[in-house]
Amino acid sequence: MSSNHKSAIANPESLMPDHPTITVGDFVACGPARLQLHVLAGADAAVARRITAARVHKLGLALAGFAHDIHTGRVQIVGQSEIAYLNQLSSERRREVLNSGALGQIACMLVTKSPALPPELAEWAERTGVPLLQTPLVSSLAITVTTEFLQETLAPRETRHGVLLELYGVGVLIEGRSGIGKSECALDLIVRGHRLVADDLVEVRRIAPDQLLGSAPELLSEHLELRGVGIINIRDLFGVSTISGPKNIDLSIKLERWDEVKEVDRLGIDELTAEILGVRVPHFLIPVGSGRNLATLVETAVRVHLSRARGNNAAQTFVARHTASLRAPDVEAESRRVNNSELEDDREETRR
Amino acid sequence: MLERRVVIRNRLGLHARAAARLVRVANSYHSAVRLERIDGSHSADAKSILSVLMLAAGFGTELRAIVYGEDEDEAINALCTLIAEGLGEEGRQ
Repeated sequence: MSSNHKSAIANPESLMPDHPTITVGDFVACGPARLQLHVLAGADAAVARRITAARVHKLGLALAGFAHDIHTGRVQIVGQSEIAYLNQLSSERRREVLNSGALGQIACMLVTKSPALPPELAEWAERTGVPLLQTPLVSSLAITVTTEFLQETLAPRETRHGVLLELYGVGVLIEGRSGIGKSECALDLIVRGHRLVADDLVEVRRIAPDQLLGSAPELLSEHLELRGVGIINIRDLFGVSTISGPKNIDLSIKLERWDEVKEVDRLGIDELTAEILGVRVPHFLIPVGSGRNLATLVETAVRVHLSRARGNNAAQTFVARHTASLRAPDVEAESRRVNNSELEDDREETRR
Repeated sequence: MLERRVVIRNRLGLHARAAARLVRVANSYHSAVRLERIDGSHSADAKSILSVLMLAAGFGTELRAIVYGEDEDEAINALCTLIAEGLGEEGRQ
């Protein structure tokens, strides 16, 4: 994701709700630069009109009177074929087509490439207050770029209290009560060559049904607060390789005070998960006590996670070996019993 | 110091999950808890999961629980009850 995507979220209103929206005006101003958007008509309406859905739609059949797929709040792509279709209609028929059905509820129309537009389109846009935008890109590319941008911008989001780091390519969200040592643990990990994404506040967005993206609030990025030392800039002190941009959250680690942990996993055969924005993420609960080196523990948990992701669960293998060793004496006893009874059979035969 | 003999009643023996349950209970007391095979061939710290697993106590194995500390009464009762009841395992014999 590029930085111009982030600026679109600068609108504080769109930060708050679980399902954010973006105005058409913000989409034009802060949307992907590649789209080179400009407003053909309905600029006044664009300020307030909102895009609420990430999926874009191609107008297509709606122009022929089949408006089944027209949904509120979507961007409607108008390509060469739609314009060609409109152009071969009579002026009267064009007005009729545009005014019929559900077209008035869409967020905006996005015309791709630069075809000669029938004047009725701009007229309609001004009258109904549906902004008419234009991009020089071809439809297929415009759809991809727009969808990618909207999916990121309109993704459900949540701000979590924790630290997000990248260890061995794994995005690790470390959470726990204030004062438990999250930032100190992060510092240890940074010194060991891992990278900081966000300290204290992590903005999490669900950018796909099973994908969480975590980033630092603009103001906080690269900074970390250490009790007794104050706010430090990680890039200044440790170099550019110790900070990272937004990162997928692959693993969740909860730090909890030793005496507050109800149940510690002693075996590690059950792979725990935590739920973040409805996505299940592999999870470790690590008790914090004196003599426990948090950075080493977190580093090891990540290695275990990587190992498990490749289908290798050491705890399960160990337990299977142990269970087999428990059964072994039974098997021996059983075979002894069988042998004895065979012997007895032999004896009986000898007697006969 | 208290000592009591217990027999592993659950079908699968002192397997991983059962051992984890035992260790969790042992850790909830201040007393030191040891488990020994009755023949003295093996002895384990009941607060350490690996130690307990290394007892390799199958079904019917006789063990001696040795508990020492301020809450030894409660500890030995809790542990022996847990073991006698099959360590929370379903379908014990």
